[in-house]
Amino acid sequence: MEDYKYLFKVVLIGNAGVGKTCLVRRFTQGLFPPGQGATIGVDFMISTVEIDGVKVKLQIWDTAGQERFRSITQSYYRSANALILVYDISCQPSFDCLPQWINEMDMYASTKVITYLVGNKSDRVNQREIPAHIAERFAQQQDMRFLETSAKEADNVKRLFLEIAKELTQQARDNEICSQYSSASDLGATDTSPVGNFSCCKGF
Amino acid sequence: MDKLTFYAMKSPEKLDRIANYLAERLSQDVRRQRVGFVMIAMEALDSLLVSCHAQSLNLFVESFLKMVQKLLECDEPDLQCLATNSFVKFANIEEDTPSYHRRYDFFVSKFSSMCHNCVADPDVRARLRTAGVRGLQGVVRKTVSDDLQVNIWEKTHMDKIVPSLLYNMQVGMSEELESPKDEDHPAVVAETVFRDLVCRASYGNINSVLKPVLLHLDDHKLWVPNDFAVKCFKIIMYSVQAQYGYIVVQMLMNHLDDHSKQLPRVKASIVNVLSETVLIAAGGSVGPSVLEVFNTLLKHLRISVDKDISATQSPDEKNFQEAIINTIGEFAKNLPDYQKIEVMMFIMGKVPPSSESQPVKNSKDVLLQTMLMKTLLKVATKYKTVLLNNAFPSTFLDPLLRMSVVSDPGIRRLIQEIIHTLLDRHDNLLKLTTVRIPEQISTLKLTVEKAQRQDIMFAKKSGPLFYWHLYKNAEMQNNKVDNFETIFCTLALMFVEMNGDEVLIDSFRFALGIQHMAKVGDLPITHKCAIHAIVAAHLNLISQLTAVPALCEHVAVVIARRKESAPFYLPAMAFNRKNTANSYPEKDVVLESCMFNPDTISDALRNSGHDTSSLVSPFMPQNVIGFDQVDLKKSASDIHSLNISFSLDSRSSSIESIRKSVGEEITFESLKKVLEMNPRAKEEEQKERQKILEKFTNGPFEDIVARSEAKSEKFANKLNEILEKIAQPPQAAEPLSKDGLTVPIHNIQFPELFIY
Ligand SMILES: Nc1nc2c(ncn2[C@@H]2O[C@H](COP(=O)(O)OP(=O)(O)OP(=O)(O)O)[C@@H](O)[C@H]2O)c(=O)[nH]1
Ligand SMILES: [Mg+2]
Repeated sequence: MEDYKYLFKVVLIGNAGVGKTCLVRRFTQGLFPPGQGATIGVDFMISTVEIDGVKVKLQIWDTAGQERFRSITQSYYRSANALILVYDISCQPSFDCLPQWINEMDMYASTKVITYLVGNKSDRVNQREIPAHIAERFAQQQDMRFLETSAKEADNVKRLFLEIAKELTQQARDNEICSQYSSASDLGATDTSPVGNFSCCKGF
Repeated sequence: MDKLTFYAMKSPEKLDRIANYLAERLSQDVRRQRVGFVMIAMEALDSLLVSCHAQSLNLFVESFLKMVQKLLECDEPDLQCLATNSFVKFANIEEDTPSYHRRYDFFVSKFSSMCHNCVADPDVRARLRTAGVRGLQGVVRKTVSDDLQVNIWEKTHMDKIVPSLLYNMQVGMSEELESPKDEDHPAVVAETVFRDLVCRASYGNINSVLKPVLLHLDDHKLWVPNDFAVKCFKIIMYSVQAQYGYIVVQMLMNHLDDHSKQLPRVKASIVNVLSETVLIAAGGSVGPSVLEVFNTLLKHLRISVDKDISATQSPDEKNFQEAIINTIGEFAKNLPDYQKIEVMMFIMGKVPPSSESQPVKNSKDVLLQTMLMKTLLKVATKYKTVLLNNAFPSTFLDPLLRMSVVSDPGIRRLIQEIIHTLLDRHDNLLKLTTVRIPEQISTLKLTVEKAQRQDIMFAKKSGPLFYWHLYKNAEMQNNKVDNFETIFCTLALMFVEMNGDEVLIDSFRFALGIQHMAKVGDLPITHKCAIHAIVAAHLNLISQLTAVPALCEHVAVVIARRKESAPFYLPAMAFNRKNTANSYPEKDVVLESCMFNPDTISDALRNSGHDTSSLVSPFMPQNVIGFDQVDLKKSASDIHSLNISFSLDSRSSSIESIRKSVGEEITFESLKKVLEMNPRAKEEEQKERQKILEKFTNGPFEDIVARSEAKSEKFANKLNEILEKIAQPPQAAEPLSKDGLTVPIHNIQFPELFIY
């Protein structure tokens, strides 16, 4: 019945206006929405991708960057398998805030989480304020993967989510082998206990 | 459909497979976007759900929930709402098999995000939000009271659920509901669910609901203005199980602690919310932590006062202080009376100790004392006195009276007001706040009762203490009109509330005592007139209440004489805030004919059967407490203490002989003689003359203070006082030179001259 083998939760965070929602919509719906309004609280989207012939479902939680929603958005970090921290390459303040976001991640996210640093709006070459190599070095220091994307030009967006899906799938497989872990119930899709929070739907 | 359910009920073992089949169909239909079939499949699942027996349910729930999740993952709002409805139905079913493994994380997350959704179409948005809220309620219902289920009170869940509910309530509040009764409006539903949630919270769980509430209010900056915060906490207090109300109070206080560095506006708002909360936390539910509450509030008061002066005086900071004081008052109101006294003593204990080594107090201390006394007054007004000795246990009365003679006139007035409200059991206070001489005392409509035995005992024991401190009060050099008014009021209230023979004599004796002080003492003419006026008003009151004809006659005669030749000895003039220098006699000569005669009074009382033996010995301010305990800060009062201790000494020794020679009474002459015997005293006298002169020239500043106090709020006044204190050199030998320093009086034209 289920049309996927693995389910992963991906949470996007970062300052308001850096293009988180646009990234998600570009990936899930293939469009760049004109006049995208600020996200309120959290939004949710689903996408199923195929990794090495295996169907993988991504549950994508798009959080609001606005300060006032911080407490509710933080509550979504914990169950994430991957966190995408987004800044805007044409906006220095969004880059300067990264250490604060990293603090939050350390506080609220599970330790096993995969983290990506994403510099969005790479199409705005003329307004660039953050050179790619600076961001890359920062990402290395923080032990994060790094990519520059453009939701507008659809640059690297697919690659970003596919890389994540791939890596998580690989991890889940390794996990399966070493522990023969299987979720206690078929409802494993909703299981988000911090340990072993990879869900799989064997038998389908 | 009916067939299906019938079949399923007959053979529950097949249920699992039926559900599986349905789920698979539905899954396909969703993928192919065949909404019609989806609806049918869901309906089938629903009806199976409700018609199944609880035992067999478990087999089927998992497929069911998977389907609900599937639908919730769709973009289609209709399907999301449909799924939510089904989920809510499921949530209302009670199960009796454990299902620890079943998790609701996805549902909580998804419903929470639905609560926040921002679909462009407002109708769809509202429907989705309502569905989200209902869904959350479903999860809570399903899990909350059931040990067999997952623990919904965990932080991960509450941190999503609570803000989602609040967000909708808050949006509803700011949007102004078109039809507030609209039952499906997300704000209305959210409020209901929030109430439901709070009332289900048990002791250990209140925390997990309140924390996100406080955080939400912080994040969304909802403390200023605090309408929403107040609303939230009202809901919480009305919904929470009564015995846990105090936890809410406690948490708000902790929150205040965490925000002690915040802007005073924010803190004032939090305190306001606290006050509303406390109001609802009826009576006993406040629990054992009463003093802790007061401690916290007083601590914040102190922090506020301890800031530098300019910050302390900002309107925001003032508001914050007022908010604390009011909250303490509200809180105290709910306490049983014995606890109120406890709280008053507690506040008293917070008063910064005044040490003699530091005669000039720093203005922060004065401010803190003022704040604490205001707080004390607030609490005192909530106390209903039954017996005086309960209202004034000596552990409370002693420090209170000690405070009543501090150098700051504002604080002295506050203390008298505290005493008033605690004394006044018959609602006479308002009738006695102004000093006046009604021809018929009955026009005041005072309520007077014979005092009970315990009150008489109290009067015997503590009366002298009161009188001694009142005497010291009347003598203060920096008294203002208000101070004299409050002194009169205390005097009158004491008489009315301790209505008995002993008090009667003491009261006469005291009145004659201060009359004597006004005659011979070292006081500005305005003070003397005010004291004479108090004596007149008081004797008028008590002679009429005592109803001894000869007494009334004497008092009436003296008052009539004063009207004619010494109107400045009567309240109408002495307490007139618009007086000019011309209102007063040019020379400070005692008009003996306008004084009340101790002998006449004594005779009148004796003839009507009173024991006047104690009256004949004139009022001597007895140092009941001991000087070392009384703080005498100002050099002005130092001179006095000299005088007083001198007369005290003389009382025990030298004066004894004089008394014999002059007769029973100490007159001005006799005192003068005593003064002359002491070479130092002569110096003092010279100094005093000098001072009186100076006071006259420096008067207007005091006048400004007195009048601004009468008119404006205490704010400006307090500032003045503080300026005054700052300007005052630490060890000023001339207590009044400060006036010259602060105000260049020659540049200010004040036609009216009224010196206080
Ligand atoms: N040029 C350019 N503009 C982009 C890109 N991505 C987003 N934007 C614009 O950036 C603005 C904000 O985009 P959003 O996706 O709403 O930003 P967000 O991070 O979701 O913001 P919050 O929801 O408030 O946290 C929009 O006006 C987008 O059109 C991009 O790749 N290139
Ligand atoms: Mg967004």
